[in-house]
Amino acid sequence: MTVRIASALLLLALLGGWEAWCRLGNVPALIVPAPSSVFATLWSEIVSGRLLPHLAITATEMALGLALGCVVGLGTGILLDEASFLRRLLHPYIVASQVVPKLALGPLFIIWFGFGMAPTVVITALICFFPLMENTLTGLAQVDPARRELFRMLGASPLQTLLRLKLPSALPVILAGLRVAVVLSLVGAVVGEFIGGRAGLGASIIAAQSVMDSSLMFALFIVITLLGMVFYQAALLTERLLLRHHLKG
Amino acid sequence: MSTERHGEGFVAIEQASYRYGAEAPIVDRVDWAIPRGAFHCLIGRSGSGKTTLLKLAAGLLAPDEGCVRIDGAALEGPGTRIGFVFQQPTLLDWLSVIDNVLLPLSLKRSLRAEDREKARELLDLVSLGDYAHRHPAQLSGGQQSRVAVARALIAEPDLLLLDEPFAALDALTREELQDDLLALCAMQATTVLFVTHDITEAVYLADRVAIMAAGRLHHELAVDLPRPRNRAMRYGQAFNTLCLELRQAMDGAP
Repeated sequence: MTVRIASALLLLALLGGWEAWCRLGNVPALIVPAPSSVFATLWSEIVSGRLLPHLAITATEMALGLALGCVVGLGTGILLDEASFLRRLLHPYIVASQVVPKLALGPLFIIWFGFGMAPTVVITALICFFPLMENTLTGLAQVDPARRELFRMLGASPLQTLLRLKLPSALPVILAGLRVAVVLSLVGAVVGEFIGGRAGLGASIIAAQSVMDSSLMFALFIVITLLGMVFYQAALLTERLLLRHHLKG
Repeated sequence: MSTERHGEGFVAIEQASYRYGAEAPIVDRVDWAIPRGAFHCLIGRSGSGKTTLLKLAAGLLAPDEGCVRIDGAALEGPGTRIGFVFQQPTLLDWLSVIDNVLLPLSLKRSLRAEDREKARELLDLVSLGDYAHRHPAQLSGGQQSRVAVARALIAEPDLLLLDEPFAALDALTREELQDDLLALCAMQATTVLFVTHDITEAVYLADRVAIMAAGRLHHELAVDLPRPRNRAMRYGQAFNTLCLELRQAMDGAP
Protein backbone atom coordinates (compact mmCIF):
# COMPACT_ATOMS: atom_id res chain seq x y z
CA MET A 1 0.00 0.00 0.00
CA THR A 2 2.79 2.43 0.96
CA VAL A 3 4.52 1.51 -2.30
CA ARG A 4 1.38 2.48 -4.24
CA ILE A 5 1.16 5.82 -2.44
CA ALA A 6 4.85 6.42 -3.11
CA SER A 7 4.29 5.50 -6.76
CA ALA A 8 1.40 7.99 -7.05
CA LEU A 9 3.44 10.68 -5.31
CA LEU A 10 6.29 10.06 -7.76
CA LEU A 11 3.89 10.74 -10.67
CA LEU A 12 2.65 13.94 -9.04
CA ALA A 13 6.22 15.08 -8.39
CA LEU A 14 7.20 14.41 -12.01
CA LEU A 15 4.15 16.28 -13.32
CA GLY A 16 4.85 19.17 -10.93
CA GLY A 17 8.50 19.32 -12.04
CA TRP A 18 7.45 19.25 -15.70
CA GLU A 19 4.89 22.06 -15.15
CA ALA A 20 7.46 24.18 -13.27
CA TRP A 21 10.10 23.59 -15.94
CA CYS A 22 7.70 24.69 -18.72
CA ARG A 23 6.51 27.81 -16.86
CA LEU A 24 9.79 28.96 -15.32
CA GLY A 25 11.99 27.95 -18.26
CA ASN A 26 9.72 29.56 -20.87
CA VAL A 27 9.77 26.37 -22.90
CA PRO A 28 7.79 26.95 -26.16
CA ALA A 29 4.45 25.08 -26.04
CA LEU A 30 5.16 23.73 -29.54
CA ILE A 31 8.23 21.85 -28.27
CA VAL A 32 6.98 20.67 -24.86
CA PRO A 33 3.53 21.77 -23.70
CA ALA A 34 2.91 22.07 -19.96
CA PRO A 35 0.86 19.26 -18.33
CA SER A 36 -1.90 21.74 -17.46
CA SER A 37 -2.32 22.60 -21.15
CA VAL A 38 -2.18 18.88 -22.13
CA PHE A 39 -4.90 17.99 -19.63
CA ALA A 40 -7.00 20.97 -20.73
CA THR A 41 -6.76 19.78 -24.35
CA LEU A 42 -7.56 16.23 -23.30
CA TRP A 43 -10.62 17.40 -21.38
CA SER A 44 -11.92 19.48 -24.26
CA GLU A 45 -11.43 16.53 -26.65
CA ILE A 46 -13.42 14.31 -24.29
CA VAL A 47 -16.33 16.71 -23.64
CA SER A 48 -16.58 17.77 -27.29
CA GLY A 49 -17.06 14.09 -28.19
CA ARG A 50 -14.22 14.21 -30.75
CA LEU A 51 -12.04 11.69 -28.92
CA LEU A 52 -14.42 8.81 -28.41
CA PRO A 53 -14.93 7.73 -32.06
CA HIS A 54 -11.15 7.66 -32.61
CA LEU A 55 -10.61 5.72 -29.41
CA ALA A 56 -13.31 3.26 -30.44
CA ILE A 57 -11.71 2.73 -33.85
CA THR A 58 -8.21 2.09 -32.46
CA ALA A 59 -9.56 -0.19 -29.74
CA THR A 60 -11.56 -2.12 -32.35
CA GLU A 61 -8.54 -2.49 -34.64
CA MET A 62 -6.46 -3.61 -31.71
CA ALA A 63 -9.05 -6.14 -30.54
CA LEU A 64 -9.71 -7.53 -34.03
CA GLY A 65 -5.99 -7.73 -34.89
CA LEU A 66 -5.20 -9.32 -31.55
CA ALA A 67 -8.00 -11.87 -31.87
CA LEU A 68 -7.10 -12.76 -35.46
CA GLY A 69 -3.36 -12.97 -34.74
CA CYS A 70 -3.90 -15.03 -31.60
CA VAL A 71 -6.30 -17.50 -33.21
CA VAL A 72 -4.04 -18.03 -36.23
CA GLY A 73 -0.89 -18.10 -34.04
CA LEU A 74 -2.40 -20.62 -31.64
CA GLY A 75 -3.71 -22.76 -34.51
CA THR A 76 -0.38 -22.69 -36.34
CA GLY A 77 1.49 -23.53 -33.13
CA ILE A 78 -0.77 -26.52 -32.51
CA LEU A 79 -0.52 -27.68 -36.12
CA LEU A 80 3.28 -27.43 -36.19
CA ASP A 81 3.52 -29.30 -32.88
CA GLU A 82 1.22 -32.11 -33.99
CA ALA A 83 2.77 -32.53 -37.44
CA SER A 84 6.55 -32.62 -36.96
CA PHE A 85 7.03 -32.92 -40.73
CA LEU A 86 5.23 -29.59 -41.23
CA ARG A 87 7.26 -28.05 -38.44
CA ARG A 88 10.54 -28.97 -40.09
CA LEU A 89 9.18 -27.84 -43.46
CA LEU A 90 7.61 -24.53 -42.49
CA HIS A 91 9.19 -23.24 -39.30
CA PRO A 92 12.31 -21.70 -40.92
CA TYR A 93 10.09 -19.80 -43.37
CA ILE A 94 7.77 -18.59 -40.62
CA VAL A 95 10.74 -17.28 -38.63
CA ALA A 96 12.14 -15.64 -41.78
CA SER A 97 8.76 -14.01 -42.45
CA GLN A 98 8.82 -12.53 -38.95
CA VAL A 99 12.18 -10.87 -39.52
CA VAL A 100 10.58 -8.74 -42.25
CA PRO A 101 9.45 -5.52 -40.54
CA LYS A 102 5.70 -5.86 -40.88
CA LEU A 103 5.10 -2.13 -40.72
CA ALA A 104 7.04 -1.86 -43.96
CA LEU A 105 4.28 -3.92 -45.53
CA GLY A 106 1.75 -1.20 -44.67
CA PRO A 107 1.84 0.60 -48.04
CA LEU A 108 1.38 -2.72 -49.83
CA PHE A 109 -1.59 -3.62 -47.61
CA ILE A 110 -3.21 -0.28 -48.48
CA ILE A 111 -3.08 -1.35 -52.14
CA TRP A 112 -4.49 -4.77 -51.25
CA PHE A 113 -7.11 -3.83 -48.65
CA GLY A 114 -7.72 -0.12 -49.29
CA PHE A 115 -7.69 2.64 -46.68
CA GLY A 116 -9.59 2.15 -43.45
CA MET A 117 -9.44 -0.48 -40.75
CA ALA A 118 -8.57 -3.56 -42.82
CA PRO A 119 -4.83 -2.92 -43.47
CA THR A 120 -4.28 -1.90 -39.83
CA VAL A 121 -6.08 -5.00 -38.54
CA VAL A 122 -3.95 -7.19 -40.82
CA ILE A 123 -0.70 -5.55 -39.67
CA THR A 124 -1.75 -5.92 -36.02
CA ALA A 125 -2.67 -9.55 -36.59
CA LEU A 126 0.69 -10.26 -38.25
CA ILE A 127 2.52 -8.73 -35.29
CA CYS A 128 0.46 -10.67 -32.72
CA PHE A 129 0.73 -13.96 -34.58
CA PHE A 130 4.38 -14.65 -33.80
CA PRO A 131 4.50 -14.51 -29.97
CA LEU A 132 1.40 -16.71 -29.83
CA MET A 133 2.79 -19.27 -32.28
CA GLU A 134 6.23 -19.41 -30.65
CA ASN A 135 4.85 -19.65 -27.13
CA THR A 136 2.31 -22.29 -28.17
CA LEU A 137 5.11 -24.36 -29.72
CA THR A 138 7.32 -23.92 -26.64
CA GLY A 139 4.49 -24.67 -24.22
CA LEU A 140 3.38 -27.78 -26.05
CA ALA A 141 6.97 -29.07 -26.27
CA GLN A 142 7.39 -28.69 -22.50
CA VAL A 143 4.53 -31.01 -21.52
CA ASP A 144 5.80 -33.39 -18.83
CA PRO A 145 6.79 -36.73 -20.47
CA ALA A 146 5.42 -38.68 -17.48
CA ARG A 147 1.99 -37.11 -17.99
CA ARG A 148 2.13 -37.91 -21.72
CA GLU A 149 2.90 -41.49 -20.74
CA LEU A 150 -0.05 -41.43 -18.35
CA PHE A 151 -2.37 -40.42 -21.20
CA ARG A 152 -0.90 -43.16 -23.41
CA MET A 153 -1.45 -45.61 -20.58
CA LEU A 154 -5.08 -44.48 -20.30
CA GLY A 155 -5.59 -44.99 -24.03
CA ALA A 156 -6.33 -41.31 -24.75
CA SER A 157 -6.76 -40.33 -28.42
CA PRO A 158 -4.45 -37.64 -29.90
CA LEU A 159 -7.32 -35.13 -29.76
CA GLN A 160 -8.04 -35.96 -26.10
CA THR A 161 -4.32 -35.65 -25.30
CA LEU A 162 -4.24 -32.26 -27.02
CA LEU A 163 -7.38 -30.85 -25.40
CA ARG A 164 -7.11 -32.38 -21.95
CA LEU A 165 -3.37 -32.53 -21.36
CA LYS A 166 -1.21 -30.54 -23.76
CA LEU A 167 -3.20 -27.31 -24.07
CA PRO A 168 -3.98 -27.02 -20.34
CA SER A 169 -0.30 -27.78 -19.52
CA ALA A 170 0.92 -25.23 -22.06
CA LEU A 171 -1.59 -22.58 -21.01
CA PRO A 172 0.76 -20.57 -18.72
CA VAL A 173 3.32 -20.24 -21.54
CA ILE A 174 0.63 -19.48 -24.15
CA LEU A 175 -0.85 -16.75 -21.95
CA ALA A 176 2.59 -15.21 -21.42
CA GLY A 177 2.68 -14.96 -25.23
CA LEU A 178 -0.75 -13.32 -25.15
CA ARG A 179 0.57 -10.65 -22.78
CA VAL A 180 3.40 -9.83 -25.21
CA ALA A 181 0.90 -9.81 -28.10
CA VAL A 182 -1.39 -7.36 -26.27
CA VAL A 183 1.43 -4.84 -25.94
CA LEU A 184 2.47 -5.34 -29.56
CA SER A 185 -1.12 -5.04 -30.80
CA LEU A 186 -1.26 -1.42 -29.64
CA VAL A 187 1.95 -0.66 -31.54
CA GLY A 188 0.46 -2.40 -34.60
CA ALA A 189 -2.81 -0.47 -34.44
CA VAL A 190 -1.32 2.99 -33.82
CA VAL A 191 1.55 2.71 -36.28
CA GLY A 192 -0.74 1.03 -38.83
CA GLU A 193 -2.92 4.16 -38.64
CA PHE A 194 0.16 6.35 -39.15
CA ILE A 195 0.58 4.67 -42.51
CA GLY A 196 -2.92 4.30 -43.86
CA GLY A 197 -5.48 5.33 -41.28
CA ARG A 198 -8.09 8.05 -41.79
CA ALA A 199 -9.44 7.73 -38.25
CA GLY A 200 -8.21 6.41 -34.94
CA LEU A 201 -5.71 7.62 -32.34
CA GLY A 202 -2.68 7.10 -34.63
CA ALA A 203 -4.33 9.02 -37.47
CA SER A 204 -5.26 11.75 -34.97
CA ILE A 205 -1.60 12.12 -33.97
CA ILE A 206 -0.67 12.61 -37.63
CA ALA A 207 -3.48 15.16 -37.96
CA ALA A 208 -2.31 17.00 -34.81
CA GLN A 209 1.23 17.03 -36.13
CA SER A 210 0.11 18.62 -39.39
CA VAL A 211 -1.36 21.54 -37.43
CA MET A 212 1.58 21.62 -34.98
CA ASP A 213 -0.71 20.94 -32.01
CA SER A 214 1.78 19.43 -29.53
CA SER A 215 -0.72 19.58 -26.66
CA LEU A 216 -3.13 17.38 -28.60
CA MET A 217 -0.31 14.94 -29.46
CA PHE A 218 0.60 14.62 -25.78
CA ALA A 219 -3.08 14.22 -24.89
CA LEU A 220 -3.33 11.39 -27.43
CA PHE A 221 -0.19 9.73 -25.96
CA ILE A 222 -1.97 9.66 -22.61
CA VAL A 223 -5.08 8.09 -24.14
CA ILE A 224 -2.96 5.49 -26.01
CA THR A 225 -1.08 4.63 -22.82
CA LEU A 226 -4.31 4.22 -20.88
CA LEU A 227 -5.78 2.08 -23.68
CA GLY A 228 -2.69 -0.16 -23.60
CA MET A 229 -2.89 -0.47 -19.82
CA VAL A 230 -6.58 -1.41 -19.93
CA PHE A 231 -5.87 -4.18 -22.49
CA TYR A 232 -2.83 -5.37 -20.50
CA GLN A 233 -4.79 -5.49 -17.26
CA ALA A 234 -7.56 -7.40 -19.05
CA ALA A 235 -4.93 -9.90 -20.24
CA LEU A 236 -3.57 -10.23 -16.68
CA LEU A 237 -7.08 -10.76 -15.34
CA THR A 238 -7.79 -13.44 -17.96
CA GLU A 239 -4.51 -15.10 -17.06
CA ARG A 240 -5.27 -15.08 -13.36
CA LEU A 241 -8.71 -16.52 -14.02
CA LEU A 242 -7.56 -19.29 -16.34
CA LEU A 243 -4.49 -20.25 -14.30
CA ARG A 244 -6.10 -20.14 -10.87
CA HIS A 245 -5.44 -23.85 -10.35
CA HIS A 246 -2.07 -24.12 -12.12
CA LEU A 247 0.80 -24.66 -9.70
CA LYS A 248 -1.00 -23.07 -6.82
CA GLY A 249 1.01 -22.88 -3.62
CA MET B 1 19.37 -69.20 -7.54
CA SER B 2 16.89 -70.30 -10.15
CA THR B 3 14.52 -67.80 -11.71
CA GLU B 4 12.47 -70.25 -13.72
CA ARG B 5 8.83 -69.69 -14.45
CA HIS B 6 6.13 -70.79 -12.05
CA GLY B 7 3.75 -72.38 -14.49
CA GLU B 8 1.36 -70.17 -16.47
CA GLY B 9 0.54 -66.99 -14.58
CA PHE B 10 -2.14 -64.38 -15.16
CA VAL B 11 0.74 -62.18 -16.23
CA ALA B 12 3.44 -64.07 -18.14
CA ILE B 13 6.65 -62.37 -19.20
CA GLU B 14 8.40 -64.76 -21.56
CA GLN B 15 12.03 -64.31 -22.57
CA ALA B 16 11.46 -60.57 -22.84
CA SER B 17 14.39 -58.41 -23.93
CA TYR B 18 14.59 -54.69 -24.58
CA ARG B 19 17.46 -52.47 -25.62
CA TYR B 20 17.84 -48.79 -26.45
CA GLY B 21 19.64 -48.55 -29.81
CA ALA B 22 22.83 -50.59 -30.07
CA GLU B 23 23.57 -50.61 -26.34
CA ALA B 24 23.60 -53.72 -24.13
CA PRO B 25 20.04 -54.86 -23.40
CA ILE B 26 18.46 -53.03 -20.45
CA VAL B 27 16.10 -55.99 -20.00
CA ASP B 28 17.73 -59.30 -20.89
CA ARG B 29 15.68 -62.46 -21.52
CA VAL B 30 13.46 -62.11 -18.46
CA ASP B 31 10.98 -64.83 -17.56
CA TRP B 32 8.43 -64.08 -14.90
CA ALA B 33 4.89 -65.13 -14.08
CA ILE B 34 2.39 -63.59 -11.68
CA PRO B 35 -0.65 -65.66 -10.66
CA ARG B 36 -4.02 -63.91 -10.57
CA GLY B 37 -4.45 -61.84 -7.40
CA ALA B 38 -0.78 -62.12 -6.36
CA PHE B 39 1.36 -59.20 -5.22
CA HIS B 40 4.88 -59.37 -6.63
CA CYS B 41 7.75 -56.95 -6.05
CA LEU B 42 10.77 -56.27 -8.21
CA ILE B 43 13.70 -54.87 -6.33
CA GLY B 44 16.97 -53.56 -7.67
CA ARG B 45 19.36 -50.67 -7.77
CA SER B 46 18.88 -47.65 -10.03
CA GLY B 47 19.60 -48.54 -13.64
CA SER B 48 18.97 -52.25 -13.15
CA GLY B 49 16.18 -52.23 -15.74
CA LYS B 50 13.20 -52.58 -13.39
CA THR B 51 11.30 -49.56 -14.71
CA THR B 52 11.84 -50.75 -18.29
CA LEU B 53 10.54 -54.21 -17.38
CA LEU B 54 7.49 -52.58 -15.79
CA LYS B 55 6.86 -50.55 -18.96
CA LEU B 56 7.11 -53.77 -20.98
CA ALA B 57 4.47 -55.30 -18.71
CA ALA B 58 2.33 -52.16 -19.18
CA GLY B 59 2.58 -52.27 -22.97
CA LEU B 60 4.17 -48.80 -22.97
CA LEU B 61 7.22 -50.45 -24.56
CA ALA B 62 7.20 -53.46 -26.87
CA PRO B 63 9.87 -56.11 -26.21
CA ASP B 64 12.54 -56.57 -28.92
CA GLU B 65 12.38 -60.29 -28.25
CA GLY B 66 10.01 -62.49 -26.30
CA CYS B 67 6.54 -61.41 -25.28
CA VAL B 68 4.24 -60.39 -22.46
CA ARG B 69 0.92 -62.17 -22.03
CA ILE B 70 -1.98 -61.02 -19.90
CA ASP B 71 -4.50 -63.77 -19.22
CA GLY B 72 -3.07 -65.78 -22.11
CA ALA B 73 -3.32 -63.04 -24.76
CA ALA B 74 -0.21 -61.30 -26.08
CA LEU B 75 -0.08 -57.68 -24.92
CA GLU B 76 -0.33 -55.27 -27.87
CA GLY B 77 -0.24 -51.96 -26.00
CA PRO B 78 -1.60 -50.14 -22.98
CA GLY B 79 -5.22 -50.86 -22.11
CA THR B 80 -7.86 -50.22 -19.50
CA ARG B 81 -7.21 -53.60 -17.88
CA ILE B 82 -3.87 -52.30 -16.62
CA GLY B 83 -3.46 -49.53 -14.05
CA PHE B 84 -0.13 -47.74 -13.70
CA VAL B 85 1.22 -45.60 -10.89
CA PHE B 86 4.28 -43.55 -11.81
CA GLN B 87 7.23 -42.45 -9.67
CA GLN B 88 5.68 -38.99 -9.47
CA PRO B 89 1.94 -38.63 -8.78
CA THR B 90 1.50 -37.01 -12.28
CA LEU B 91 -1.78 -35.41 -11.27
CA LEU B 92 -3.27 -32.70 -13.49
CA ASP B 93 -2.97 -29.42 -11.58
CA TRP B 94 -5.99 -27.84 -13.25
CA LEU B 95 -8.40 -30.59 -12.20
CA SER B 96 -9.87 -31.12 -8.76
CA VAL B 97 -8.86 -34.21 -6.81
CA ILE B 98 -12.06 -36.07 -7.71
CA ASP B 99 -11.75 -35.17 -11.40
CA ASN B 100 -8.17 -36.48 -11.33
CA VAL B 101 -9.42 -39.76 -9.90
CA LEU B 102 -12.15 -39.91 -12.56
CA LEU B 103 -9.74 -39.18 -15.44
CA PRO B 104 -9.37 -42.80 -16.65
CA LEU B 105 -13.18 -43.09 -16.92
CA SER B 106 -13.83 -39.61 -18.32
CA LEU B 107 -11.40 -40.31 -21.17
CA LYS B 108 -13.46 -43.37 -22.12
CA ARG B 109 -17.04 -42.20 -21.81
CA SER B 110 -19.29 -39.59 -20.24
CA LEU B 111 -19.40 -39.88 -16.46
CA ARG B 112 -22.38 -41.24 -14.57
CA ALA B 113 -23.54 -40.52 -11.04
CA GLU B 114 -22.28 -43.91 -9.88
CA ASP B 115 -18.78 -43.10 -11.17
CA ARG B 116 -18.63 -40.07 -8.91
CA GLU B 117 -19.92 -42.17 -6.03
CA LYS B 118 -17.19 -44.73 -6.67
CA ALA B 119 -14.50 -42.06 -6.82
CA ARG B 120 -15.76 -40.70 -3.50
CA GLU B 121 -15.61 -44.18 -1.96
CA LEU B 122 -12.04 -44.63 -3.17
CA LEU B 123 -11.08 -41.22 -1.78
CA ASP B 124 -12.69 -42.16 1.53
CA LEU B 125 -10.64 -45.35 1.57
CA VAL B 126 -7.41 -43.37 1.20
CA SER B 127 -8.60 -40.87 3.85
CA LEU B 128 -9.09 -38.04 1.36
CA GLY B 129 -12.89 -37.89 1.38
CA ASP B 130 -12.82 -34.27 2.56
CA TYR B 131 -10.36 -33.23 -0.14
CA ALA B 132 -12.41 -34.19 -3.21
CA HIS B 133 -12.81 -30.62 -4.44
CA ARG B 134 -9.34 -29.36 -3.60
CA HIS B 135 -6.64 -29.10 -6.26
CA PRO B 136 -3.40 -31.13 -6.30
CA ALA B 137 -1.20 -28.17 -5.37
CA GLN B 138 -3.16 -27.88 -2.11
CA LEU B 139 -2.22 -31.44 -1.09
CA SER B 140 0.94 -32.81 0.53
CA GLY B 141 3.18 -35.25 -1.36
CA GLY B 142 1.68 -38.22 0.48
CA GLN B 143 -1.87 -37.09 -0.28
CA GLN B 144 -0.98 -36.66 -3.97
CA SER B 145 0.39 -40.21 -4.06
CA ARG B 146 -2.87 -41.45 -2.51
CA VAL B 147 -4.83 -39.70 -5.27
CA ALA B 148 -2.57 -41.33 -7.88
CA VAL B 149 -3.28 -44.78 -6.41
CA ALA B 150 -7.03 -44.07 -6.31
CA ARG B 151 -6.88 -42.93 -9.95
CA ALA B 152 -5.12 -46.15 -10.97
CA LEU B 153 -7.83 -48.24 -9.28
CA ILE B 154 -10.99 -46.39 -10.40
CA ALA B 155 -11.33 -48.42 -13.61
CA GLU B 156 -10.91 -51.64 -11.57
CA PRO B 157 -7.88 -52.89 -13.50
CA ASP B 158 -7.00 -56.59 -13.42
CA LEU B 159 -3.34 -55.70 -13.16
CA LEU B 160 -1.81 -52.81 -11.24
CA LEU B 161 1.78 -51.76 -11.99
CA LEU B 162 3.58 -49.38 -9.66
CA ASP B 163 6.96 -47.77 -10.29
CA GLU B 164 8.49 -46.72 -6.96
CA PRO B 165 5.37 -44.68 -6.20
CA PHE B 166 6.28 -43.90 -2.59
CA ALA B 167 10.02 -43.32 -3.01
CA ALA B 168 9.83 -39.57 -2.44
CA LEU B 169 7.79 -39.79 0.78
CA ASP B 170 8.92 -39.77 4.38
CA ALA B 171 9.12 -43.15 6.16
CA LEU B 172 5.92 -42.83 8.21
CA THR B 173 3.78 -41.64 5.31
CA ARG B 174 5.22 -44.43 3.18
CA GLU B 175 4.14 -47.03 5.74
CA GLU B 176 0.61 -45.63 5.84
CA LEU B 177 0.40 -45.70 2.06
CA GLN B 178 1.67 -49.26 1.95
CA ASP B 179 -1.18 -50.30 4.28
CA ASP B 180 -3.70 -48.38 2.16
CA LEU B 181 -2.42 -50.02 -1.01
CA LEU B 182 -2.60 -53.52 0.47
CA ALA B 183 -6.17 -52.91 1.66
CA LEU B 184 -7.29 -51.54 -1.72
CA CYS B 185 -5.69 -54.35 -3.71
CA ALA B 186 -7.10 -57.03 -1.39
CA MET B 187 -10.59 -55.57 -1.87
CA GLN B 188 -10.55 -55.93 -5.66
CA ALA B 189 -8.22 -58.99 -5.66
CA THR B 190 -5.96 -56.99 -7.98
CA THR B 191 -2.82 -58.60 -9.40
CA VAL B 192 0.12 -56.32 -8.62
CA LEU B 193 3.67 -55.83 -9.82
CA PHE B 194 5.42 -53.27 -7.64
CA VAL B 195 8.90 -51.91 -8.38
CA THR B 196 10.97 -50.53 -5.53
CA HIS B 197 14.52 -50.18 -4.28
CA ASP B 198 13.46 -50.46 -0.66
CA ILE B 199 13.97 -53.96 0.81
CA THR B 200 11.56 -53.55 3.74
CA GLU B 201 8.86 -52.17 1.45
CA ALA B 202 9.22 -55.19 -0.86
CA VAL B 203 9.04 -57.72 1.99
CA TYR B 204 6.10 -55.97 3.66
CA LEU B 205 4.00 -55.77 0.50
CA ALA B 206 4.79 -58.82 -1.56
CA ASP B 207 3.96 -62.50 -1.82
CA ARG B 208 7.09 -62.91 -3.88
CA VAL B 209 10.11 -60.70 -4.47
CA ALA B 210 12.59 -60.85 -7.35
CA ILE B 211 15.92 -59.10 -7.51
CA MET B 212 16.80 -57.43 -10.77
CA ALA B 213 20.37 -56.53 -11.70
CA ALA B 214 21.91 -55.68 -15.06
CA GLY B 215 18.66 -56.45 -16.86
CA ARG B 216 18.21 -59.95 -15.47
CA LEU B 217 16.34 -61.54 -12.59
CA HIS B 218 18.83 -63.04 -10.21
CA HIS B 219 17.06 -64.22 -7.13
CA GLU B 220 13.56 -64.75 -6.00
CA LEU B 221 12.08 -65.08 -2.59
CA ALA B 222 8.65 -66.22 -1.47
CA VAL B 223 7.38 -64.08 1.41
CA ASP B 224 5.27 -66.32 3.62
CA LEU B 225 4.24 -63.72 6.18
CA PRO B 226 0.51 -64.02 6.97
CA ARG B 227 -2.04 -61.58 5.52
CA PRO B 228 -3.34 -59.08 6.30
CA ARG B 229 0.03 -57.59 7.10
CA ASN B 230 0.31 -55.23 10.05
CA ARG B 231 2.88 -52.84 11.37
CA ALA B 232 3.98 -55.10 14.22
CA MET B 233 5.30 -57.56 11.65
CA ARG B 234 7.93 -55.06 10.56
CA TYR B 235 9.70 -55.63 13.85
CA GLY B 236 9.32 -59.44 13.95
CA GLN B 237 12.14 -61.89 13.45
CA ALA B 238 10.62 -63.54 10.38
CA PHE B 239 10.40 -60.15 8.64
CA ASN B 240 13.97 -59.24 9.43
CA THR B 241 15.30 -62.64 8.36
CA LEU B 242 13.64 -62.15 4.95
CA CYS B 243 15.08 -58.63 4.67
CA LEU B 244 18.53 -59.91 5.51
CA GLU B 245 18.27 -62.67 2.94
CA LEU B 246 17.25 -60.17 0.27
CA ARG B 247 20.03 -57.80 1.25
CA GLN B 248 22.65 -60.52 1.00
CA ALA B 249 21.25 -61.65 -2.33
CA MET B 250 21.39 -58.05 -3.61
CA ASP B 251 25.00 -57.74 -2.50
CA GLY B 252 25.77 -60.97 -4.34
CA ALA B 253 24.07 -59.84 -7.56
CA PRO B 254 26.31 -58.40 -10.29
